[in-house]
Amino acid sequence: MGGNRKGLTGHCGEFCRWIVWQRVQGQLGRLTAFPWRQPVITLSDASGSARPGAHPLWTRAFHGFNLLVLLLMAGSGLEIYNANPVFGGRAGATVPEWLTLGGWLAGGRDWHFGVMGLYAANLGLWIGLLLQRRHRRLADGGDLGTLRRSASPPRRRLASHRITYTLMLVVLAFSLITGLAMYKPAQLWWLVSLFAFAEPAGHSSWQTLRVCHLATIPAIALLLVAHVGLSWRVGGLRLLRRMAL
Amino acid sequence: MGSDPGRRRALGLLVSGGSSLLLGGCGLNRWSNAVGAATQPLNERIEALLQGKGPLPEFRRSQVEPAALLVNSFNGTPNLPPESYRLVVNGAVRRPLRLDLAALAALPQRECVVRHVCVEGWAAIVAWSGPRLADVLALAGPSPLGAYLAIRSADQYFETWDLASALHPQTLLATHMNGAPLPVANGAPVRLASPIKLGYKQSKWVTGLELMTSLGDRLGTWEDRGYEWFAGL
Ligand code: HEM
Ligand code: HEM
Repeated sequence: MGGNRKGLTGHCGEFCRWIVWQRVQGQLGRLTAFPWRQPVITLSDASGSARPGAHPLWTRAFHGFNLLVLLLMAGSGLEIYNANPVFGGRAGATVPEWLTLGGWLAGGRDWHFGVMGLYAANLGLWIGLLLQRRHRRLADGGDLGTLRRSASPPRRRLASHRITYTLMLVVLAFSLITGLAMYKPAQLWWLVSLFAFAEPAGHSSWQTLRVCHLATIPAIALLLVAHVGLSWRVGGLRLLRRMAL
Repeated sequence: MGSDPGRRRALGLLVSGGSSLLLGGCGLNRWSNAVGAATQPLNERIEALLQGKGPLPEFRRSQVEPAALLVNSFNGTPNLPPESYRLVVNGAVRRPLRLDLAALAALPQRECVVRHVCVEGWAAIVAWSGPRLADVLALAGPSPLGAYLAIRSADQYFETWDLASALHPQTLLATHMNGAPLPVANGAPVRLASPIKLGYKQSKWVTGLELMTSLGDRLGTWEDRGYEWFAGL
């Protein structure tokens, strides 16, 4: 490994070297408290996990892969959006091309439906495992109580953070459900019919579905800002780095 | 914190890496076709599995959305005089046919109130009526080896379907729309209509049906340019 490391060149090599170096530092950091590191308080401390702050490799792997496929899904989705904007139809405003992935409608669909299986499998397995093995890290009613009653800023931050990232998982699952309903509206007609609630107001279930599916992008973007901000407040760069694979 | 150059450099790399993924749409776009080619076979299998042979629930006539149905045409609007119109049915059949509109009208007529979904993203509930495609094919005595149907249109639009979808009980050769004769812009005198396929599979101005035992080089006007072939709903 050491020999290889010397041979790496360019940005990529530098980055790899940096990762290895940070890994070593991280190990040291855990053993010998460096004065410039603030103590890491993470949610697992709050829930009494045996190893404070340790995120198992599997949750970090799902976390990282989710971000990757989410970017692909959002980019290709916006490409599909541009073929016929949800708001305004053919006369509607399109999103800038640099946000889109696919090049044209068929290309966007290639990516969107090519990656959806990976996206769904990753999300489903991750949520399943989290519920089974780390359910105490997901939000529950207690967190709402904390927000309502507790005056301690760290506890309030932890509670809002748990609520934030749990909501993110819910939003991502919602995009999957609304996406499926539009991918197979004939065979999954019962799923589409769940979105008929705005019909009395004159909005077809199809339009409602399109709006709901699209709305997951701004929703996840807002939650993401809160999530990264709260992670920063809760555990600083060290926590962010530890979550990165 | 500024005292840690390694950390700062890495953040810079992460940021530039992230933004180039967005901008690099340009780079990734070259892979669109490959991604589609790699994943469509599996997706199409799942689609075909999901797609049962039985009829799907339909809408009420009062739910029809005439204004939502947009008109797409790839090559203008052909004008087919009804008196001289003939539908050619040939290929792997015992009795090749040339049917006029009276022959189509003599078959059992069926109305389907279904959602028409365009690949562009819009959809409209439409009431199509006309004979079932399955009944028309049955007239010609199809060979058991027939597995695909090629559909030719007067504007040179071309489509191929899997036979199971063509024989679906709600796949029609529509001659009427929302209770009135089919407008020319929507494919008069005869077009395909089905709740189980995207709009680009539902050829307008249909003039020829050919039962095939295998797919040829051409899959369809849009499919040959990169759109999905099965395109099931
Ligand atoms: C949409 C994308 C994202 C989703 C759905 C998401 C979701 C989650 C979830 C569910 C957890 C808890 C995992 C566990 O405890 O096993 C988590 C933790 C974490 N995430 Fe994300 N995340 C996303 C993006 C990001 C990004 C972009 C960053 C950093 C830049 C980030 C940084 C973190 C950190 C540092 C933690 C650890 C928090 C702690 O233990 O207090 N996440 N995330
Ligand atoms: C397995 C998951 C998903 C499936 C099956 C799916 C399916 C679809 C389908 C069928 C369409 C076309 C809708 C139409 O014709 O109007 C679509 C559009 C779109 N998707 Fe997804 N999608 C999924 C996940 C996502 C995710 C995670 C995002 C981003 C957060 C996303 C963003 C979009 C956007 C922005 C559009 C364009 C909206 C429109 O024009 O109606 N999708 N998706």
